[in-house]
Amino acid sequence: MKQKDMSSEVSSTKKTRAFGIVFLLLSGALVVYIAYPIANIVTLLEPRTFMESITRPQIGGTFLLSVGTATISSLLLAAFGIPFAYCMARYNFPGKFLLRVIIIIPLVIPPLASGTLLLGVFGPYTPIGRSLPVEFTQSAIGVIIAQTYVSSPFMILLALAAFESVDESYEKVSRILGKGRLETFLRVSLPLAKRGIMAGFIMTWVRSLGELGATMMMAYNPHTVSIQIFEDNAVGGIQNTLPVILLVILLSALVLGIFSTVKKEGLKLGW
Amino acid sequence: MLGPLNLKINREVLVMIGPAGSGKTTLLNLIAGMTRPDGGSVILDGSDITELPLESRRIGYVFQSPNLFPHLNVYDNIIFGVANRDRQNKSDYVKKLLDEMGLSHLSNRGVQGLSGGEMQKVSIARMLVVEPRIILLDEPLVHLDPSIRRKLRLELRRILKRQDIPAIYVTHYEDDVYALADSVAVLHNGRIENAGRLEEILSSNSSPFISEIMEESNYIEGIVVESKNGIAVIRVGLHLLKTLGEYSLKSRVGILIRPEEILLSKDAIKTSARNVIKVKVAGIREIANMADVQLRADSLYLRCRITSEARAELSLMENDQIYAIFKATSPQVVREES
Repeated sequence: MKQKDMSSEVSSTKKTRAFGIVFLLLSGALVVYIAYPIANIVTLLEPRTFMESITRPQIGGTFLLSVGTATISSLLLAAFGIPFAYCMARYNFPGKFLLRVIIIIPLVIPPLASGTLLLGVFGPYTPIGRSLPVEFTQSAIGVIIAQTYVSSPFMILLALAAFESVDESYEKVSRILGKGRLETFLRVSLPLAKRGIMAGFIMTWVRSLGELGATMMMAYNPHTVSIQIFEDNAVGGIQNTLPVILLVILLSALVLGIFSTVKKEGLKLGW
Repeated sequence: MLGPLNLKINREVLVMIGPAGSGKTTLLNLIAGMTRPDGGSVILDGSDITELPLESRRIGYVFQSPNLFPHLNVYDNIIFGVANRDRQNKSDYVKKLLDEMGLSHLSNRGVQGLSGGEMQKVSIARMLVVEPRIILLDEPLVHLDPSIRRKLRLELRRILKRQDIPAIYVTHYEDDVYALADSVAVLHNGRIENAGRLEEILSSNSSPFISEIMEESNYIEGIVVESKNGIAVIRVGLHLLKTLGEYSLKSRVGILIRPEEILLSKDAIKTSARNVIKVKVAGIREIANMADVQLRADSLYLRCRITSEARAELSLMENDQIYAIFKATSPQVVREES
């Protein structure tokens, strides 16, 4: 009897070790795959070209444009997307399935295709394009149009998931206590869905920042960071792109740091 | 499928009893406005509220689960329904309510750490604070541990009566009827089989369904004449019953005694049982292998359940004089009114 117990103990320790090793290998492989190209930049850098590229006058404006448009796009998507996600989460209506499919399309088709479609609506030779004084395809507005279109699935789907995870019983209680639908939304549904919505906002912002394909079609000028990298590559190859890429990585790290500090302070304040 | 039915309630506690699926929750949802009736109307205080939305009805509703808002603490949960501009004025009322319900020490706590009983109390307080015109309770004690359930149920009647508003309490436990009801309505297959004051329902057997669910326990009312060392003595008519617990002297109490906990003996034997009552056999009914024995001593009526075999051994017959014996742990005080 004892020998049998001992061998099953040994085999379960072996199993635990095997589990650890397999998961470690898989995780390690993925991390290396993601991190190596980034770490590799150090080996490719040339200090002189780097300084020349970094100190170009237009670089500051480019970053400002990207960050500014990403922020505006995300705020717009939050303003429209959150109520929409709430309706999708709570109400049933004919054609809801079709709507769910349509929402995903900007995620499924290549951003370049999205850009082309947007051009067909807002381009200079369209009714909308002709009737307005500003030419979207040469302004920040065009950038915002492109970003909101391709990032919309992120905001919508994450907010939708957040609202679906809020138990409707809480909303029922709120209404029984005399609060109307809007007040219930503001005082109960929204606070309880906060985490998911914040995640949606962050993903939307980040996606908007990195957007290229649709922006290229809709508004090549003024240059966003992504388009600047594209152009730098076309003009001078990978060496030429590295400085801006490095700046983007630093910016991402900064933004991540800001977001997690806000989150920590927010938790302390009891948000 | 619910109805057609007619229900009228005054300023009292109406306990609606019925098995699962009889439509109890649906009925509450109709009154509260969570579902629309196919026909008929809901009238509250003389005005037709059938078309009114949920938030305009001023009706309280306590669910089986407390549904406390996780993002608010106890105090903010309770005061949620009060409009911001009224919160100053209402703060004394809220404090008093918290004291009465024993919740003051929990005021600043988050809701996650509360026990089941505490959570339900908070959810009840939350509904009472908005001073509803009627309060609906859908088996609010059903998920609680039995001992907490009994304690809270005892408190609940006191809380409801103090509010002096109509209350509809829905349940499938017969004991809740004895503990809480002024009136009873029996719901079966979507219809109200029988309704009336508690005393009427207890004495009538007009529906076979009522007999099925209402005849399990002996319900007796008496007055506490002594209470010390953990034992209370209750006077029921000419008899004194002993039970566990501490109760205020002179309060009226309602007691339940289960028929199967009563022993029958030809002699007045000395046992650990504290209750020995000389009774007369008023009637015997055999069902399967069991015998339902009706006992009577002056104004005290008790039903007792023994095996047919025991009945045969004792040669029990109508009009026999025997002794009913039960321990002090048997009588359960389910209602207390000072």
